[in-house]
Amino acid sequence: MDIRKDKGVLKWVLIVICFVFLSVFLLLPLVYIIATAFRAGIQGYIKAVTDEYALKATWLTIRATLWAVGINTFFGISAAWCLTKFAFKGKKLLSTFIDLPVTVSPIIAGLIYVLTFGRQGPLYGFLDSHGIQIIFAVPGIVLATIFVTFPFISRELIPVLTAQGTDEEEAAALMGARTFTIFRKVTFPHIKWALLYGIVLCTARAMGEFGAVSVLSGHLRGKTNTLPLYIELLYQGYDFTGAFAASSILVIMAVIILILRLVIEQKGKKEIDINR
Amino acid sequence: MSETTEKTVEQIENPASYVELKGINKHFKDFHATKDANISISKGKLVALLGPSGSGKTTILRMIAGLEHPDSGEIWIDGKLVNNIPGSERGIGFVFQSYALFRYMNVYDNIAFGLRIKKVPEKDIKKRVTELLELISCEGLEKRYPSQLSGGQRQRVAFARALAPNPHILLLDEPFAAVDAKVRLELRTWLKEMITKLQITSIFVTHDQDEAIEVADEIIVTNQGRVEQIGTPQELYSNPASPFVATFIGNSIQVKNFDRFRFFEKPEEDVTAILRPEFVSVYKKGEKVQYSKSVEEAVVEDIIFRGSNLEIKVRLHDNLISSVRSINEPAIEIGETVDVFIFRLFVIFKDRIELFYNRSLNNETVII
Ligand SMILES: Nc1ncnc2c1ncn2[C@@H]1O[C@H](COP(=O)(O)OP(=O)(O)OP(=O)(O)O)[C@@H](O)[C@H]1O
Ligand SMILES: [Mg+2]
Repeated sequence: MDIRKDKGVLKWVLIVICFVFLSVFLLLPLVYIIATAFRAGIQGYIKAVTDEYALKATWLTIRATLWAVGINTFFGISAAWCLTKFAFKGKKLLSTFIDLPVTVSPIIAGLIYVLTFGRQGPLYGFLDSHGIQIIFAVPGIVLATIFVTFPFISRELIPVLTAQGTDEEEAAALMGARTFTIFRKVTFPHIKWALLYGIVLCTARAMGEFGAVSVLSGHLRGKTNTLPLYIELLYQGYDFTGAFAASSILVIMAVIILILRLVIEQKGKKEIDINR
Repeated sequence: MSETTEKTVEQIENPASYVELKGINKHFKDFHATKDANISISKGKLVALLGPSGSGKTTILRMIAGLEHPDSGEIWIDGKLVNNIPGSERGIGFVFQSYALFRYMNVYDNIAFGLRIKKVPEKDIKKRVTELLELISCEGLEKRYPSQLSGGQRQRVAFARALAPNPHILLLDEPFAAVDAKVRLELRTWLKEMITKLQITSIFVTHDQDEAIEVADEIIVTNQGRVEQIGTPQELYSNPASPFVATFIGNSIQVKNFDRFRFFEKPEEDVTAILRPEFVSVYKKGEKVQYSKSVEEAVVEDIIFRGSNLEIKVRLHDNLISSVRSINEPAIEIGETVDVFIFRLFVIFKDRIELFYNRSLNNETVII
């Protein structure tokens, strides 16, 4: 009690600092984005948002995100599953590799793919002769997005799967359940909320990815421009209304994700409480 | 062709054994967890795997269940070599140490799981689950999740889940470890009754010798990856096959200089004797006893109340010796000089264990 009384002032100071900080660095810019987006009036905003290239960029962003999230969900579950349920050589190494994208700068990730699949790359000849284009095309964008987001899902799942142990799976296996049944009936309920949370984080990151995608895209307007790249392009061209209107699309998508995240966290916590 | 002949030979060779392990070895990397284990269990028996922590009990159980594979040796169940048969086809029910109930399924779904995998019609499943819930006295709990059950209830649900698909063998890994002492006693009795009623061959792991002695028909004693002895509780008690069994079973102490005890002599240099409380009697001075001429004096150092009797610790030739005394006999106090008579002791030789009797027993005409 005493301690709290003493720190009463400190508490308020900290709260004020937090609010001021968030207002200056987060709220103000957001308000500014909206304000700028509407500077040319509602008509101008709608025109900017429904611009052919803006729509194409939005669509590409959504597509790349869906691909990345889909593939990473599969990969993340597999990686987390094998890292936690099996013992094998090279486990440490695999675990370290999964974290690589977090530590490597996205630009470098982009360059790695340019070097691998580009004209000087070892695979270029083969891919070219089969008519497959990766860099400066949509596959490259998807690749880059996958690369930067792939630790998100497995990193959410690993702690949950580790805590659960292997007993329940062994019990199910002894009763004759096949691997997929075990996963569906026994393992999946444990990881459901962690997985959804991982997917949300992965989606948020995938939508906003700029660095790696920027290297690989080639900035072909209407072809390989994702929303973040498109915004950058408009901004460089002094089209502030356009840039901020496009930004607002990204912001709205982010807010939806944020709400989803909140709902998932609440629901997940409730269910975990029941099953403690 | 040759395989079938082998099987028949096997059955003729050892018709009594239902579960048999022959020369089983298991390594975890460099660690030799099971060393040349030979075990034979007859049908319908309730067998305990008893040994200190880390002695390889769980490993043996998991190999029988097919959750672990031996590096060498053979596992036979009901006259079939099962080394290459998956655990799910060995007719085994397994109760895990931590129960491993499916946490996201309610009691009903937990028990029904194995039956659903077997594609048993839902109607029959309902009948079987109801029957099992009755057996474990958990009627009305079918909608609860494992986290909403008490430790004892969880244990019984795990038992019911293992029994649901009608296994021929039930394996239980420390089934009472996770419940408190009082519930453990109840569950022990309950489990023994259940298993006797169902006539199912069962093997359970424990490191509590009282539990093993009380519950099991037969005990397999393991130590450092080896099977030290297999026998009924009485056999282990009166004929320990190794020094380890002699010390592990019963509440025993080791005595080096037992030649200094009256009427005992030491045959060789380097042998040790094992003394159990039941081998020793302590009498109050002047108490009328049969062996009054053969007793020797000692001082009481400690008295421990054990509920129905007293454990009296006396110092005799530098050894702190325990003995049991009824609370109905004249009271003894700490510091008192008492008469001590030692009936017998186990002497451990390099290759065998021998029972030495007090020589005065031959001279005085007494019946123990
Ligand atoms: N998967 C494993 N990897 C490596 N070592 C193992 C593994 N499983 C068991 N061991 C080792 O084998 C030995 C025997 O283990 P086991 O679990 O069979 O012992 P236990 O008799 O059941 O002991 P407790 O009473 O403590 O459960 C132990 O020393 C253990 O460390
Ligand atoms: Mg164990």
